[in-house]
Amino acid sequence: MTKMTYSIPIGPVHPSIKEPIIFNFEIYGERIENVNLAPGENHRGIEFMGRERNPIQIIYLAERICGICSFAHPFAFCRAVENAVGIEVPERAQYIRVMIAELERIHSHILWAGLAAHELGFDSVLYLSWRAREEVLDLLEDLTGNRINYAMLMIGGVRRDMTANQISRIRKTLDYYKDIYGKIEDVFLNDPTIALRTKSVGILTKEEALRLCAVGPTARASGVRKDIRQDQPYSAYADLEVKAITPEVFSDKINGDVYDRIVVRLLEILQSVQIIEQCLDNMPSGEIIAEKKLVKLLNQLKKAKGEGIGRHEAPRGEVIHYVKLNESEFPEVWKARPPTYNNLMTWVPMLIGQQIADIPIVIASIDPCIACMDRVTILNKDTGQKSILTKEDLHKLSVEKTRRIAL
Amino acid sequence: MENNKAEEVLKLFKEKFNNKIIDSRIETKTTGLKKNNYQVIWLQINPEDFKDTVDFLCSIYQYPHFAIISGNDKGENIELIYHFSIYYGERFKEISISLVLNLSKKNLKISTITDLIPGAQTAEREIKEMFGVNFEGLPDLPNIFLPKDFKKGIYPLRRDEKGIEKPVEKEEEVKEDD
Amino acid sequence: MKLNKYFERSLWVFHLNSGSCNGCDIEIVAALTPRYDLERFGIKLVGSPKHADVLLVTGPVTAKMADKVKLIYEQTPDPKAVIVIGTCGTSGGVFYHSYNLRGPIDKILPVDVYVPGCPARPEAIINGVLQVWIKLEKLREELKVSQVK
Repeated sequence: MTKMTYSIPIGPVHPSIKEPIIFNFEIYGERIENVNLAPGENHRGIEFMGRERNPIQIIYLAERICGICSFAHPFAFCRAVENAVGIEVPERAQYIRVMIAELERIHSHILWAGLAAHELGFDSVLYLSWRAREEVLDLLEDLTGNRINYAMLMIGGVRRDMTANQISRIRKTLDYYKDIYGKIEDVFLNDPTIALRTKSVGILTKEEALRLCAVGPTARASGVRKDIRQDQPYSAYADLEVKAITPEVFSDKINGDVYDRIVVRLLEILQSVQIIEQCLDNMPSGEIIAEKKLVKLLNQLKKAKGEGIGRHEAPRGEVIHYVKLNESEFPEVWKARPPTYNNLMTWVPMLIGQQIADIPIVIASIDPCIACMDRVTILNKDTGQKSILTKEDLHKLSVEKTRRIAL
Repeated sequence: MENNKAEEVLKLFKEKFNNKIIDSRIETKTTGLKKNNYQVIWLQINPEDFKDTVDFLCSIYQYPHFAIISGNDKGENIELIYHFSIYYGERFKEISISLVLNLSKKNLKISTITDLIPGAQTAEREIKEMFGVNFEGLPDLPNIFLPKDFKKGIYPLRRDEKGIEKPVEKEEEVKEDD
Repeated sequence: MKLNKYFERSLWVFHLNSGSCNGCDIEIVAALTPRYDLERFGIKLVGSPKHADVLLVTGPVTAKMADKVKLIYEQTPDPKAVIVIGTCGTSGGVFYHSYNLRGPIDKILPVDVYVPGCPARPEAIINGVLQVWIKLEKLREELKVSQVK
């Protein structure tokens, strides 16, 4: 019976994944028997800070809840305030919002694909895919002024319009992604080693996904057709036919394993390219914001009373914000709920019975945005041995397993 | 038709609970160029009837999607809003349902719904440590977001004496010689 | 740039996240990718503070991470340098008045270079690391001289 006795008390960050994570678990041989969750290291008290800021300042705070989904949070927040106050967003602004959201989805999924490959040991795929991601970041910089944290949103519309030059650049970037998509799909989905490492690993059944209220690609890979862009469309999605993507589009059976999650995310990249093209073809003209002068907008919000819910399908799942305004400068209630919050509990059924070397890829497969949650303690009762492994040790184990299989 | 579904659902609730529902309304929102719409139902009920209401909701649609619990400290009582949604899976059919509860501060107890919807555990733990609400039936688990050594009896999102007395000061103007 | 005089050896860098939003952390990883390619300067990202010359710290420090940040700083061998990346580590940025934040990083560690930006661009990060390189080489010279004495 092998007993792992590495013991490093601090959980520093692995060069390739961003947040502090400490793993703390006991094992029986090589198998995990039980899992317990305990996040909290990244808790900054954002909702508490929101009590001293007016809604326009909260947009900039909400952008920095997470750097990868930095458009999703302000989008949901603006929708919540617009629903609470009753502000109508002009149609051109709705289309621009959807286009930037889909561009963000492309960059987030490619980022995830590179990191997943890195967890399996394919470092060159990490570098190649992140090089491909630079194209969409250049485009976003051209449209919005920054690679991350775009500051495009304002309550009632968007802050910047698109010129004809920018639109032709968008089309060029989309052509680039359509060309390169075949290669991405080939590298990930037709490689035998990746298939061996990811099929039947980290399975989440459909029933568990429904009971745990999983969202996003994690739920869709298990066969649950949950996608706000399809179920309760908003902004320009209401005019487009967006369907929730489940793995049977690509392969015949739905297993709910890590391979299916890769399939769903790669297919969503292609879907995003198609959505952006449809938006470009049907883009209406007109105003981009309901109320241009910020001082007037702020006065309108100070006198407003009402409550509203805003939801958005971020790359990781459903983001929901709830805002209650009560005739004062600061909102009475602001609740922000990122998608990883719901997906946290899905680690429990996914990790039970797995080998230790599979932990990195299973953990990464739900695409955790750990700026909202952070530490995972995995307990296991059988041997009574407690060991603390850091991310590097787990990563090493995962890479070694790939080498064993590939030979 | 989508429009009837929200009214039908509200009618089912009213038939089952009739005068136990304190307040209810349906909001309709339009979006996009083609001006399609979706609906949100708001229901206010008593804390004692809450578990039955969620049970009834699960009987209308087998696995309702639970989003989050938002809390508000109103002085005398704490208002909790549970955000659900049902009928997801088909285009334009999803309806959001929000259940509003008012808990008096002298009796901060509500029954847990984790036996019906296991995914609600994270949200209930967060409300427990941010507002001090006691969820009957929730297993006693450690703090989920706050540090382990956070002062007991202080609930950050409350506005009364049990909240944070004074926020952490902005950094002082310190001149470093470098 | 006085490359020949100063850059005798390569520089090993350790990345530490004290509760940030991941924006700057992704830009650090993007600095390794083929477009910006840190490694052509000899800068390498290592997995343990005991091998590192430079600490790259991001994020406003949350309450839980405050003592861990100090511990990692003490584990790094001398001569070392600390670079703070991002506005929230430099001055707090948008995060002020929270009960769980322990202030900008220079309240806890002595900092050598600040790289502002939200998030800091990869080019700015590389520039910050190069600035600290010159400083470190000077420190090494002084250490050698004092040891000989």
